Amino acid sequence: MSLPSALYNSKTFGEKKFEVDPSKPQYQTTNGATTGPSEHVLNAGQVDIDRPSEPKLKEDNSNQVTYLSNLRCQLTGLQDDINVFLTEKMELAKGKKIKVASNKDTD
Amino acid sequence: MVNLNKIPPKNGRKYYVALGLEGSANKLGVGVIKHPFLENHESGDLSHDCGVEILSNIRDTYITPPGEGFLPRDTARHHRNWCVRIIKKALIEAQIKDPGLDIDVICFTKGPGMGAPLHSVVIAARTCSLLWEVPLVGVNHCVGHIEMGREITKAENPVVLYVSGGNTQVIAYSENRYRIFGETLDIAIGNCLDRFARTLRIPNNPSPGYNIEQLAKKSTHKDSLVLLPYTVKGMDLSMSGILAYVDILAKDLFRGNKKNKVLFDQKTGEQKVTVEDLCYSLQENLFAMLVEITERAMAHVNSNVVLIVGGVGCNVRLQEMMGTMCRDRADGKVHATDDRFCIDNGVMIAQAGLLQYRMGDIVTDLNETVVQQKFRTDEVYVSWRE
Repeated sequence: MSLPSALYNSKTFGEKKFEVDPSKPQYQTTNGATTGPSEHVLNAGQVDIDRPSEPKLKEDNSNQVTYLSNLRCQLTGLQDDINVFLTEKMELAKGKKIKVASNKDTD
Repeated sequence: MVNLNKIPPKNGRKYYVALGLEGSANKLGVGVIKHPFLENHESGDLSHDCGVEILSNIRDTYITPPGEGFLPRDTARHHRNWCVRIIKKALIEAQIKDPGLDIDVICFTKGPGMGAPLHSVVIAARTCSLLWEVPLVGVNHCVGHIEMGREITKAENPVVLYVSGGNTQVIAYSENRYRIFGETLDIAIGNCLDRFARTLRIPNNPSPGYNIEQLAKKSTHKDSLVLLPYTVKGMDLSMSGILAYVDILAKDLFRGNKKNKVLFDQKTGEQKVTVEDLCYSLQENLFAMLVEITERAMAHVNSNVVLIVGGVGCNVRLQEMMGTMCRDRADGKVHATDDRFCIDNGVMIAQAGLLQYRMGDIVTDLNETVVQQKFRTDEVYVSWRE
């Protein structure tokens, strides 16, 4: 089975490939680190009933995860990697904007 | 002449089957419908009378605690995590055994709506389309409401009042477009009611609007309305002023601010207005504004039939007030549907999408399936009507 991957391409930041390492725990769960409910809603008393279902096991008692559940786990990890990367880029862009604004103020 | 049978049903069958996916706000809806293949649909304007059979209509709503709205990120997460389960449930209820063979077209909401939730659902639609090799059709959410309302009520050419959490429009059909005659200049009526409910911590389950309606029924001062800034501007209306004012009253009521002259008797300190009275006055003012602009549109197009669609449309008091106006106008009639079809659902997307499909309008490239947060009702070319 081929592993899913993602490619980010930008004129400013160049290219970055996201790949799955099936041995790492973040690619073996459907509960992503960055795909949970927002803190604001949880603080307001929301009970999280919308979490993704657990990975399904094969019916042959082999204790192995089904093909589609495996893919779902790998995509969850991949989505986390992309989210972390894009958040970093956003923070960087935000920092640049603040710097430009403060330079304008001093001018 | 309109020919609704341009595309024949799949596999030589005598009926069409469509799957509809809706997720433009906090409701995730999946519906399956069936249209019989009828010869009289080859010539004539019969898009309001397709003989629709609803095979399944499943909905799951993202509900937040009292005092909170629904954030795009969390709503999208709800749709993403429930979509497959809801689709499976809808297919089982509709007794669809092989979607690739049994379904003619998959219809999804293209817009308008909240970007992130729309995106969650269109991904599911694209995946199903590729998996089952079934064509896709992108549907305008507002047109979905109109076509479902027309089919259920059999209203051939009504003036449409579309009232929901994100939209407030008075619409009439002319030359292959649903033309907007009047609309809100700022916030939608449902948004106005929802935000008022948040201030008073009125529960969001099943919906803030429904709970306001129930509270309004219990008002004991129906003869003395709280004065609110009623704002109609020609065919349009504005609700931000009324919300800001009623919000101040609600906050003062919540905190027990006895300095407020509208709410408390300044001599005795006795409370004059209750939460129920505020709900009643707000409803009466907002609905009177809607009735006024609808009547103006009816006079403009010389019509005496109104169809109310959208989530707020299942409010019985609004239907009553509209009914009174219609009866006063040359024996007019008001058409409305119940919560199964008024509140966002997958069936309405399937209905409008199937009409589009039968006229030969399908997605030919996945680039065309990009969702649009802004997608006005009059942007759609209505090929299925004369």
